[in-house]
Amino acid sequence: MQEKSIDKTKKKGGLSKSTWLCLLIIVVLVPATIFIGWQLGDRKYYITSVLIIFYSMIPFFVSFESRKPQARELVTIAVLCAIAVASRAAFIMLPAFKPIIGIIIIAGMAFGARAGFLTGAVSAFVSNFIFGQGPWTPWQMLAFGLAGFLAGLLHEKGILDSNRKVQVTVFGGLVIMLLVGPLLDTSTLFMMMSMVDTTSALTVYMAGVPINAVHAVAVMLTLFLLTKPMMEKLTRIKIKYGMMEAEKEPEEVIWKDE
Amino acid sequence: MSGQDTFSAYSPIINFIFYIGAIICGMFFIHPAFLVCAVILSAAYYLTIRGSRGIKIVLGMIPVWIVLAVINPLVNTRGSIVLFTYFNDRPYTFEALCYGIALGAMFVSVILWFLSYNEVMTSDKFIYLFGKTLPSASLILTMVLRLVPNYQKKIKQIAGARKGIGKGADSESKREKAEDGLTIVSALTSWAFEGGIITADSMRSRGYGTGKRTNFSIYKFETRDRLLLIIMLLLLAAVFLCGLKGGTTATYTPDISLASNQWTVFGAIAYFIFLAIPTALNLLEALTWHILRSKI
Repeated sequence: MQEKSIDKTKKKGGLSKSTWLCLLIIVVLVPATIFIGWQLGDRKYYITSVLIIFYSMIPFFVSFESRKPQARELVTIAVLCAIAVASRAAFIMLPAFKPIIGIIIIAGMAFGARAGFLTGAVSAFVSNFIFGQGPWTPWQMLAFGLAGFLAGLLHEKGILDSNRKVQVTVFGGLVIMLLVGPLLDTSTLFMMMSMVDTTSALTVYMAGVPINAVHAVAVMLTLFLLTKPMMEKLTRIKIKYGMMEAEKEPEEVIWKDE
Repeated sequence: MSGQDTFSAYSPIINFIFYIGAIICGMFFIHPAFLVCAVILSAAYYLTIRGSRGIKIVLGMIPVWIVLAVINPLVNTRGSIVLFTYFNDRPYTFEALCYGIALGAMFVSVILWFLSYNEVMTSDKFIYLFGKTLPSASLILTMVLRLVPNYQKKIKQIAGARKGIGKGADSESKREKAEDGLTIVSALTSWAFEGGIITADSMRSRGYGTGKRTNFSIYKFETRDRLLLIIMLLLLAAVFLCGLKGGTTATYTPDISLASNQWTVFGAIAYFIFLAIPTALNLLEALTWHILRSKI
């Protein structure tokens, strides 16, 4: 039983469809887009960057689809996304308080990098169904997804320890100030500025700092207070019900083969 | 005028291709002729679907436009006609101001397209479009869209229950409000996962993943959709050709130079017709209805 399931993963793992797709994107599509984009004149930055954002998200979704995720995995991600999006309703008193990335980071730590990316990207997309889609949607999806991905990756590698909430809190602050905030500011820069140079870039990034700082405070507070209870709950659910571990159940793989 | 939106009754494929075309072109063309088309028609379509309620929002775009136009010369100092100088001879140029006006127009039109996009491209249309290519991701999307209002209701219930035992956000301090909210989120999580596990088990026992998934949708691709699709693609091709031939070239700084040849005229007309499709459909429908009603 064990062998069979290992074989199956090997077939999937050894240069799978998604790996080829990644290679194709990195080697062919991205340089081609940059090359064509460069001929387009002043408006090249926005179009080129949005296209590259879409390319960068394709492998995540394709590998997710080609794995044929089980019901438990789907539901887990859906529930995490819905909590992240709905969490804003708990802070009607504090409209500027946006805990969504804090919850995405916790999701990434609890369920891994891939689940973290999906939770982030889908949460950004869905929250824009409520607050309005706009030119910022692809940027938000990438930024939120990367926040979850990075949290999951560092946690898997043992660099980020979910038991040390100060470390996680600092990580959350850094993610907002260095990754999510600047990415969203870049979308503003490319969208609204006529000339992309040091002056305009500095103007936009400096103008973004206070907004990002407010955002960072919200996320840091969320992580400081929620990391421990949420991690405990999610780990318990993971162990008790085997959420997100559908791949490791050999019976299921055999059953599907027949 | 508000109420019926004929364009959104067309197939989601038509809606989506229109918005892809309109938004990409809208981000891209900074030639004044094209910008004028985009601003007028994005506002016109938004007004046909929102009626008088939309007027306030469309008018609200004007200050945004002005601010963007005025700010641009502060950042971009290129240009030959200097209007005035400030801080140690930093020039405020006419060309950069024109560029700012153009960028403001671009921004306003894109935002207006997105405003109508939010009304037209509802989530079920999105799932209809991507349900086959991304079955798992669109299933997640469906579930999240259903769970969010559910959780928001639960959050209110939890907050109410906490108030009942004397814990709640009546306190003044921001920190306490935030802590209170986070406690609610934590409580929500436990409840949400218990429910999620039941959903997952229910899905599995009904055979999720054993066969091909089908998608329910109420949309059809009819002859009128096919016809409109062909027209839209032809118009987009015309605009693209115009762009290739240099009909859309426009530079503002350091010197204003705008393309104005027969390709510009050709491209701008094609662009106008393309962007006018949803507005025209709505107006035609209203007109037909008016004529029919007066006959009865």
